[in-house]
This record gives sequence, C-alpha cells and structure tokens, in this order.
Amino acid sequence: MTPALPAIIYPVALPLMGAFLLPIAARSLPELAGALGRVVVLVSMAVSAMLASSVWSSGPAVSAMGGFAAPLGIVFYADRLAMLFVLALHAGVFLFWPRGRGENAGAFTLMLTLLGGGSGLALSGDLFNIFVFYEIAAVASYGLAASGGGRAGYAAAIRFLILGSLGSTLALVGIALVYGATGTLNLADLARLAPRMLNNPLGLSAFLLLLIGFGVKAELTPVNTWAPEVYGAAPARVAALLAGVVSKLAIVVILRFLVLAFPMPAARAALLVTGILGVIAGELAAWRAPNLNQAFSYSSIAQLGMVAMAFSISGPAGIAAGVALALHHAVVKPAFFMLADRWRAPLESLKGAAKDSPLAAGLFVLLSLSIIGIPPLPGFWAKFLFLKAAMASSWSLVWFAAAVMLAATVVEAAWLLRAISAFYASAPQSAPRPPRPGMEHLGPALALGALLLAAMIFTAPLGASINALADEAGGAQAIAARVLDKGE
Amino acid sequence: MRRHYPQHRVIRPMGHQGNHGRLAASALFLAGLGLLLFNLVASIPFGHAPLHVGRAILERASGETGADNIVTAILLGYRGLDTLGEVTILFTAAAAAGMVLASAGRGQAQGEDAGFIFRTAAWMLFPFLLVVGAYIIIHGHLTPGGGFQGGAILAAAFFTPLLASPASPFNHRVATLVEGFAGLAFIVIGLLGMLGGGQFLTQLFGKGAPGALFSAGSLPVLYLAIGLKVGSELAGLMASVFGGKEKA
Repeated sequence: MTPALPAIIYPVALPLMGAFLLPIAARSLPELAGALGRVVVLVSMAVSAMLASSVWSSGPAVSAMGGFAAPLGIVFYADRLAMLFVLALHAGVFLFWPRGRGENAGAFTLMLTLLGGGSGLALSGDLFNIFVFYEIAAVASYGLAASGGGRAGYAAAIRFLILGSLGSTLALVGIALVYGATGTLNLADLARLAPRMLNNPLGLSAFLLLLIGFGVKAELTPVNTWAPEVYGAAPARVAALLAGVVSKLAIVVILRFLVLAFPMPAARAALLVTGILGVIAGELAAWRAPNLNQAFSYSSIAQLGMVAMAFSISGPAGIAAGVALALHHAVVKPAFFMLADRWRAPLESLKGAAKDSPLAAGLFVLLSLSIIGIPPLPGFWAKFLFLKAAMASSWSLVWFAAAVMLAATVVEAAWLLRAISAFYASAPQSAPRPPRPGMEHLGPALALGALLLAAMIFTAPLGASINALADEAGGAQAIAARVLDKGE
Repeated sequence: MRRHYPQHRVIRPMGHQGNHGRLAASALFLAGLGLLLFNLVASIPFGHAPLHVGRAILERASGETGADNIVTAILLGYRGLDTLGEVTILFTAAAAAGMVLASAGRGQAQGEDAGFIFRTAAWMLFPFLLVVGAYIIIHGHLTPGGGFQGGAILAAAFFTPLLASPASPFNHRVATLVEGFAGLAFIVIGLLGMLGGGQFLTQLFGKGAPGALFSAGSLPVLYLAIGLKVGSELAGLMASVFGGKEKA
C-alpha cells in the first residue's frame, strides 16, 4: 500500500553530516566554511525537492527506522504537509545564511543543525522523536539568538533559553502522561487509541502541557515573551528565519498532535483561545511598539495566533486556511525584518526614507498591502480562507475569533499605514537622512517579494494543492492505516 | 556596536519590593502547577500501565537485535534515531556554548594551579580512566553502560589534568576532528543500512551469538562512535570553559 521510502531520512541526515564536518572544515579552510555549508543546504534542498515531487505524485511515504515496524520503532511519515515545510525550511536557511567566513563557523554549524532538526520535526511520526528534534532546533535557536554578540544578544538568548527549557520540561511531562496512559509513542498508533484512551482530563492536560512546550517556539500566548527581545537583539537574518519558518514548524507539529492524538473539542478550544489572545495582544502591542523591528515582532505573535485559530477549526477547511496563513506569513515577515533592519529608529526620524531608497519603500508597501489583505494579493486569500472556514463552522467561539481577526486587521492596517506615510512624507531640511537598507537586506527581501507576486499569479493551482494537502493531513484514520497497515 | 536599543532595558535591576512580589507569584504558580501534576499523576492507575509497546519490545528485543543489554537494544535499535538526535543536541549545545565563549574571550578567568600533588595524581589517573571508559563503551551491548557513560569517563580522563592545572595542554584540533568524524560515522553506518534494501539504521554485520563481544551487529560500532563523540565534546567544552591552552 504505502511505499516504504528510506530516502526520506536525507533531509535530516545530510544537514547533520554537514554540521558534524563543518567545524573541521572551518579549522583547515576558514575561507570556504560558509560556502561549504551553503553547498550542503543546496544538496539537501535538491534531494528534498525530489522527495517532495515523489510524495506529490504518488502519495505519502513511510520509513521505519532500523527496519523496526511501527509502533515498536520510530517512523518517518512524509506527506505533502511535511514536505512543504521541509522545503520552506531549506529555502529559509539558504536565504538567511549568516554572513562571514571561518570566524562565524559556530553560526554555520548551528544553522545546519537547525535545518536537520527542523526537517526531522516535520517528518517524524513519533511523539518522543519529535521532542528530540524539537530540542535540536531549540538549542540551535538559542545559540543563533546569541550569534550577533553583545550584551543585549546574550541577555535575550539566556531568557529565551530559560523559557524554552521550562517549556520543554513541561512538554516532556505531557509526553510521559501520554505514554503512561496509552503505552505508545507512535502518533499513528495514538490516532487509533486516542478516542478511547485520551478523551479524558488526563489527555487534555497532556495536550495543554504539549501546547505550552511547543508553543514557546510557535510564539503562542502567553509563552512568547522572548520573541520581541530576541528579534530585537539577534541579527536580522536570525529573526527572519525564526519568525518566518521555525515558528511555523512548531505550530504544524501542534496541528499534528491535535489531529492525531487529541481529537477532542476541549483541546481545540484551548488552541483557539491562545490564538485569540495572541492576535489581540500581538496587534495591540505592535500598535504601541517603539520602532518597526519591535512592531514586526509583535505582529508575528498575532499572525501565529491567526494560524492557531485556523488550525483549531476541525476539518480540512481549517487546516487549509492555517497552512495558507502560515505560508503567507513565512514569505512576508522575513522580508519585513530584512527591510526594517536599518529602519530601527523611531518613525519620526524615518521621514523621507522613500526618497533615498524607493525600492525598499515600494516593497514595504507591497508587503503591507498583502499582510493587511488587499484583494489580488495572497494575503487576502489566506484571510478569506480563514473567514470562509470560520463561517462554515457551527462553533460560536470561532465566529468570535473571526471578528477578532477583522478588528486586528484594522489595527494592523493603521500602524502599517502610519509607517508608510512617514516614509513618503517630506523630511525637514535640518534632519539627518534616514539610513538605507543595503543590498544584503534588499536581496532576500526582493526574492521574497518576487515569490509573493508569483503566488499571486498562481493563486488557483496553489489553492488547489493546499486543499489536497489539507485533506491528506486531516484524515487521522487514513494516516494511521498508511503507517500501521503496511503491505498486508 | 551600531545598534542601540534605548527602549529595551536589557538588565532589569529588581527593586526590593518587586522581588518579593515576584517570589510570591512564582511560589503561587509552582504550588498550583504542583497540585495539578499531583492530581494528574494520582489519577493514573499505578502499577497497571498499559505496556502496549513496552511488553512487545521486552519479548523480542534480544532476539531481534542480538544485544544482551535490553537498554542498548532500545536505545540503539528500536529508538536509534532518538539517540542520534540526543548526540546532536549535545553537539549543538557544545557548538553554541563554544561560539559564545569564543567571542566572550576564552581563558579570561583561568583558575590557579592546584599544586604538584594534584597535577601528578591527575596524570596518573589518566590511563586508568581511559581503560575504564573504553571498557564501558565496548561492552555497552552486553552490560550496563555504553557510549554516553563511557564517553563521559573518557572526557574526565582528559579533563582532570585541566582541573588540576589550567595550564595543561589540550589539543582542540584533535578534539574537533574526533568529534566530527565520530558523528559522521554514526550517520554513515545508518545510511549503509539502506544499501541492501533496508532502512536508515538497519543493523549491519549479522546479530552474532547473544552475549559474545562481537554480537548485535553494528550496535557496538554505534556505541563506539557515541563514546568518542561524547568524550571529545565534553572534554573540548570543559577545556574551553576552564581555559585550556590552545595548541594548534
């Protein structure tokens, strides 16, 4: 039935091999260390693209590690959802690869372990194995948060580490509760056992503990206090990568837990409430933020709240909306972080920035229109999918969430337009000219802007494949059958 | 640096009042969390855990993997990928710490020399620690122990002289080499398992007679890689922290 595809380990194995070898290469060939890392990312990306095309054409694939069939061993399960985010992570890591040479080898190594860990997070079908990959990605992010150096960076990284470790500990307790109650860690196995064994207060508290733990990376309220500080103090490339892609991987994992192991209304309600809180808190804080970098950090919290709200709607419509919102944010927010890297001064001193850097300001306008949700742009379709799914749902809390999202859109539009009007205002003669984003900022931002426009042109096929992806990811029993009933 | 964040107070000195408030809030939170967890754990029927997967593994582990030590059969066989992940977490943490320490200025806080007796004793311990560590790694599939435990002992062998005298030489270059190639070896062994139509980490070389030194296929080789990796990583990290002299 489901083809066994041992090659789905490569998106994990190749980056980790690169990570282990990079410190050696950096000692003997410091000039080439960065380039070698990029080559590893490219090779892994090419292999992942081949795997993704095979998954797209011939359906999900399974690999039982060590040849030990599920549920005894660990399985990797590659469906469209997993491969999509594996590819997004590869693209993000390649685009936001740290600058510098051998002296920056530590950051290169951490990028590669983040890539391997993140890919494993998307592909693994085992609760504890997911936790292990989550820890790899988390530890790599703590290090990358400090990679800019400076006291602010270290302080932010330490607080991130403390909050993250506390979250991981709670998640581990949640995993222990699941194992204690069901005797299995395999998500496909749990999909069969959960309705009978986890549909109780114990199961709900296990989900809440997992939500807290994985919510740290997914920037869910209230465990996201690290985000504005880390995104302010870390290099812009790291902020772009963490906010853009890594946070999405965490929330996709939460979706997997929800679909496979915790199919109960109370768990959905918990995710929906954290989403609503995140949208409200994030947009209000962005409105009051002292500069653009902080505003984008807070708005990233709000956007992930929207993804959480969408994922809490049961059925494929909610998953499709959440994936669309997540993809859109993964394209737009990193570009915003790159543009805002030089524009960290308060808005008043950015007056006239458009005159000096028309391209950057124009891109800023395009991205803003999309994130607000102006019709032909992809951001509109993502929000539209969410509203459609919410209206089709019979759950009144979801209608409230939809109203919150519309209100948040107004707030978001207000502060983005405030920034845009500052850019296009005429600067007073005496004022110093605002700094201009350099090519190292504009390059990745332009690439992402082009991707956004391409997505606008290909909206129809994109929408169709997101729907197919959501159908596939939402069918818990079909997934269980693919993983557990092999061949016979 | 050019970046300056006036809006962000990075170091927040806590007032005396705020300190008490925070303590009270934290105590309240911990008490609540404790109560919640206690109730949860109390609601689990103790001694009647559904050992759905556990029992199946206990029954067949020895036969399926050839390892006498069931813990090893689980760690390297059924959950070998988790173990690769754990080694990677350690590697990542060491890389991150090394990066921060390198830019914060290595060896600034060098300790004092502990004197002749400690120095000599540390070097006298060296060969014994090496032998014990190697023994524990190599017999990991037969008796309690294995790569993590033995690796920690190997690290201690190199690290004890540094504790006795921070001026002791430590070869970071060799440590990096061993660390990198040991990690590589683990993954390569896993990939080799895919050659004969198997999957990642499928055992190689046949299972052998349970209890023999050469049994359990490639599992002892994996443990050897883990031991070398953990040992060189811990020793290298400690040497960075305590300011071992960089010897190119």
